[in-house]
Amino acid sequence: MGLTGLEIYKHLPKTNCKECGSPTCLAFAMALAAGKASLDACPYVSDEAKEALDSASAPPIKLVKVGTGDNVVDLGEETEIFRHDKRFFHPTGLAVLISDTEDVAAKVEKFEDLKFHRVGLDYVTDMVAVKCDSGDAAKFKEAVETVAGKTEKAMVLLTEDPAVMEAALDVVADRKPLLWAATADNYEKMTELAKGKECPLVLKGKDLHETAELVEKVVALGYKELVLDSGARETSKMLADLTQFRRLAVRKKFRPFGYPVFAITSKDDPREEVIQAGVYLTKYADVVVMKACEKQQLLPLLSWRQNIYTDPQKPVAVEAKLNAVGDADENSPVYITTNFSLTYFLVEGEIEATRIPSWILSVDTAGTSVLTAYADNKFSAEIIAEALKKSGAEENVKRHTLILPGYVAVLKGSLEEESGGWEVMVGPREASGINKFAKEKFA
Amino acid sequence: MIIIGERINGMYNDIGKAIKGKDPKPVQEWARRQEQGGADYLDLNVGPASPNKIEAMKWLIEVTQEVSDLPLCLDSTNYDAIEEGLKLCKKPAMINSVPAEMPKMERVFPMAVQYGAEVVALAMNEEGIPKDADSRIALAAELVATADSLGFSPEMLYIDPLTLPCNVAQDHGPEVMRTLREIKLISDPSPKTVIGLSNISQGTQNRDLINRTFAVMAMANGLDAGIVDANDNELMSAIATARILLNKDIYCDSFVNVFINRNR
Repeated sequence: MGLTGLEIYKHLPKTNCKECGSPTCLAFAMALAAGKASLDACPYVSDEAKEALDSASAPPIKLVKVGTGDNVVDLGEETEIFRHDKRFFHPTGLAVLISDTEDVAAKVEKFEDLKFHRVGLDYVTDMVAVKCDSGDAAKFKEAVETVAGKTEKAMVLLTEDPAVMEAALDVVADRKPLLWAATADNYEKMTELAKGKECPLVLKGKDLHETAELVEKVVALGYKELVLDSGARETSKMLADLTQFRRLAVRKKFRPFGYPVFAITSKDDPREEVIQAGVYLTKYADVVVMKACEKQQLLPLLSWRQNIYTDPQKPVAVEAKLNAVGDADENSPVYITTNFSLTYFLVEGEIEATRIPSWILSVDTAGTSVLTAYADNKFSAEIIAEALKKSGAEENVKRHTLILPGYVAVLKGSLEEESGGWEVMVGPREASGINKFAKEKFA
Repeated sequence: MIIIGERINGMYNDIGKAIKGKDPKPVQEWARRQEQGGADYLDLNVGPASPNKIEAMKWLIEVTQEVSDLPLCLDSTNYDAIEEGLKLCKKPAMINSVPAEMPKMERVFPMAVQYGAEVVALAMNEEGIPKDADSRIALAAELVATADSLGFSPEMLYIDPLTLPCNVAQDHGPEVMRTLREIKLISDPSPKTVIGLSNISQGTQNRDLINRTFAVMAMANGLDAGIVDANDNELMSAIATARILLNKDIYCDSFVNVFINRNR
């Protein structure tokens, strides 16, 4: 992301000496903005100006890593306000909160079980947060040790007492946990601790202004592995703050906000808490810490995260396989379609509406629609026949009836040959015609 | 693209006569017609013949506002006429125009800040219209830097890279296109760009064809606004189409009608 001429001009000496080869400083600034000149050409630019211009051309939000090995969670390095403009890159790290005053071992075992497999994808809760509610350094250290012994996942340590944090870091510093939080009161000690152990540190202000000030103080101490917390806990306030963090970082290149952002839920009712966490992960939070730890609470949240962080330029594919609609059995017909999710769900909806038990074979066309795949030779008789074999339809379905989308009626003859004796029927061109078609043929 | 309707200009006979005889009918008729054609702003220019520019401008504004709610673009080199006019405008207006000349910029930008007006700024100075893109961009940068230093936001600035008729100054075309692209590098938020479109086809054959082809090319290079004939349907359709192809408006089958009727 380049700088604009005016931004550069503000840092130039404004001598208009022409030694850089441009007639004026403003012209030189425009040449720099267009990538046609180098800052070295100016003999009078100050070191501070060089530094300011260098850092202003860095990515708008820094990448910060939490954890080690296979369990590293990448936070930040986002560039967009809306996902449809390009995409969101690093899914929000979701952390389940464990207090050092509860049964830590039981809770962490429950956390480890928060894994889901749905529509062909694996969802994992990727962080665990341990909070010091006891105020007792030894107790917190023990809790952290217990958690570390039972999970490999990235950790967040929550205490504002540097002595308590130090005790816990004695046992888990090499796991590179995220430390929460440095405040206006403790930031010197917390920064020293984080810097010494090379752990990322959350800076918590009372509001956006104090957070920005805190960042400048900590950066002045030489530490930049930072995550921001504006201190807001109400959903509405947090939504506003998260939006400001992202907008100022991306649109105004406001360096103090060029870091990932931390959110923690405040609702006690689990249903409300999940909705609150959903808002935060939708609106730019890079880490969300929450109490929710039941499967029924996490699955919708993880599904939503998966959805928000998909690449909108890439077609979304469903798993390529034989799917039952209703109580499909060995006497049900098999509809053929592609694994483009829009195509697939349209067909599935229409077949469901017929109330006639059926199979749908979604053929892997790299997530492209019927006509796109056909034109690209990804939806040929050979490919369909191969998918049919792989799907297990041969063994499980006795009625050997295939229904082709009407737009590829031309594949009928070759598919009959390739499939080795299946009866191939040509269905309607549009899925909206399936109801009438099915009632006539199969009711 | 922001459409600034060009027709209420004393250079045209009917408007010239109307101003002279204080007959509001032709002015109001063109205000309505341009609004129906899809204009966002109405350009008001008293023309060179009016003896009292201030009175003529005030009269034009008043009679136009009787029939149209569109914001106005006050087109004059007489800044006293513009200032008196700004006082009468019901909606924030546009000042057309200021070149990159210090005394004029110092007169116009503070006035624009005071009245919340936008400003059309010309990429030229005392030395005239530059030929190459680099000189145009340098003047544009000067306009932005000066506006910024006088408290006027670059977002409210419409830079006109200045087009010349393609039959006599054909080699300016590509320079204008490059200027349009690079103006966006000056600041963030960047200044907007505007073109007095009909200038490109002065004295040529097939004026409408040249106008709309140029409009589409300029839009592809980032043009934001045009002072144009809002009643040229082919032009307006081409602009509506270019907006779709540039992903500025969401496509629908009736995209031309939607664009023309967007202010209703």
